[in-house]
Amino acid sequence: MRWVGPAALCVALLVPLVPAGGYQQYVVQVATFVLINAAVALAWDIQARTGQLSLAPAAFFGLGAYAYTMAALRGVPLAVAFLLGPLVAGVVSLGLGIVTLRLQGLYFAIATLAFAEVVKVIFKELPLDLTGGAVGLTAPPLLGGHQTGLYYLGLGVFLVVVVASLAVRHSRLHYAFTAIRQGELTARVLGVRVVRTKLLAFVLSAALIGMVGAYATSRLFFVIPEDTFGIGLSVTALATAIFGGVYTTAGPVLGAVILRSLEEVLRLVLREGYLAVYGVILMLVILYLPGGLVSLWNRRSRDVAGGD
Amino acid sequence: MMDLFLQTLANALIQSGTYALASSGLALAVGVLHIVNFAHGEFLMVGAFVAYWLSVLAGIDPIVSLVPAGAVMFAASGVIYQASIRRVLLAPELNALLLTFGIGITLQNLAVLAFGATPRVVHTAYQLTAVTVGPVSVGVAPLITLVVSVTLLAGMYAVLYRTGVGKSIRAVAQNRTGAHLVGLDVDRIYLLTFGIASALAAIAGSMVLVRIGASPHMGFGFVLKAFAIIVMAGLGNLTGVLWASLVLATAEAFVRTYVPGGGGAAEAVFFLLIFFTLVWRSWRTA
Repeated sequence: MRWVGPAALCVALLVPLVPAGGYQQYVVQVATFVLINAAVALAWDIQARTGQLSLAPAAFFGLGAYAYTMAALRGVPLAVAFLLGPLVAGVVSLGLGIVTLRLQGLYFAIATLAFAEVVKVIFKELPLDLTGGAVGLTAPPLLGGHQTGLYYLGLGVFLVVVVASLAVRHSRLHYAFTAIRQGELTARVLGVRVVRTKLLAFVLSAALIGMVGAYATSRLFFVIPEDTFGIGLSVTALATAIFGGVYTTAGPVLGAVILRSLEEVLRLVLREGYLAVYGVILMLVILYLPGGLVSLWNRRSRDVAGGD
Repeated sequence: MMDLFLQTLANALIQSGTYALASSGLALAVGVLHIVNFAHGEFLMVGAFVAYWLSVLAGIDPIVSLVPAGAVMFAASGVIYQASIRRVLLAPELNALLLTFGIGITLQNLAVLAFGATPRVVHTAYQLTAVTVGPVSVGVAPLITLVVSVTLLAGMYAVLYRTGVGKSIRAVAQNRTGAHLVGLDVDRIYLLTFGIASALAAIAGSMVLVRIGASPHMGFGFVLKAFAIIVMAGLGNLTGVLWASLVLATAEAFVRTYVPGGGGAAEAVFFLLIFFTLVWRSWRTA
């Protein structure tokens, strides 16, 4: 299994060099969107490992996107504006995390969903010269909008999230997260600082999503409340992670590669309504493969080598 | 001044009827099956479209169509229950939530595929007429939806509190194992309850069709509001749903009327209320 990560990285590095003729630009574009989806799903998963199902990734994505756009439009250097993305998302998530700390399961999910909707409405209703209202804003591109350059920047952003995910997986935090997920009370008895750990997971996840939001905006060149804060973004994030396999690093990435590619094909064929695929996949995975795609691999390798 | 106040109050009352109808189904599913049905809004959408097509193709009045709309969703939800919901009843509650989320997204996008995303409206004679009582003027169509909602809610309470089936449903809601021990077929009660809950959503959908119209994306807004209502009421508390519907519809109507540019802010009122109710409760009880 050790070769899979480096091999995937090599493939990712080589994508812009693939001689696809007239489709060159399209391939790079799709690859960029795969990276964006994978990064959001992976960042969402970090927080999900504590057993809290957040339906607010769209809010943090949007906050990162708007922070970047609004700062950049006011003459803030683009690099600084970019860093504002994760910063703003992180700070807001700290506040949200503190007030929603005591909510469990379902209530937490609904509260985060409500929060995301409130943030969307706020950005829609703020004065036009501030947020552009329902129409949104045009975002200044990073790196002068150079497509290949932006792809590699996206790869960098994605790798930051991967590193964070792996770091959590291979540190003591992994045990803390898992213990909290399996029983908060037991975790507390075992000496896990539950409140602090949950907040850490929530803020880390939100800041990473905010960073992806800032990056995605510099690549898409615009922000619109309905899209940038859209529930579709949250749905995609959790469906991707669940499809690939939650609580892992490989799962959400694998999920993003498959689902986003599938989505691109369906978008060409159907033009609208292609999100139905996400719905069907979510249903089938919950019913028949709760561990996601990764669990198939683990099952096999366990048979062969006696461990995962 | 007073006239505007009374008019707003009347609008709120009518809106609360639809909200109560849509939320009661959700509250029923939560209270009895202990699942939060994220697809409830899409069930409402299905009801609206059934009524829409019956009106367009067969010329049936959407108010009459609430019967077939409810029946279609009752049957469809039976299939959905047997094929999926049933399997996650004993799994962690988030699985059920994600499953119904998936069902909702699928239905919504299938509707987009089949009918396109453009909203559709029906035209009936009574939609243009209004009843005027003193300073307050109320459209006949909204008035009919209010009457239907009140009748159906009263009917639901009568079934729940005055019949044997209702007693069984309440018994299962109270204690699944206990109900099973005294010989109730819990699975059948679940099936029936889920069917009734879904049919109520579809009927609410045909009411919404008369007043506003139908579109594939109509469900999500309603399910969020229904969540707000049942959360305010306390999950599974059916009587609370009536009060919460009234409170939220009133808050929404007054923001719409009295806050400048309040159309968008009215949306936020709901979500703010749901958010603060949840947070406040979690800190108070802890």
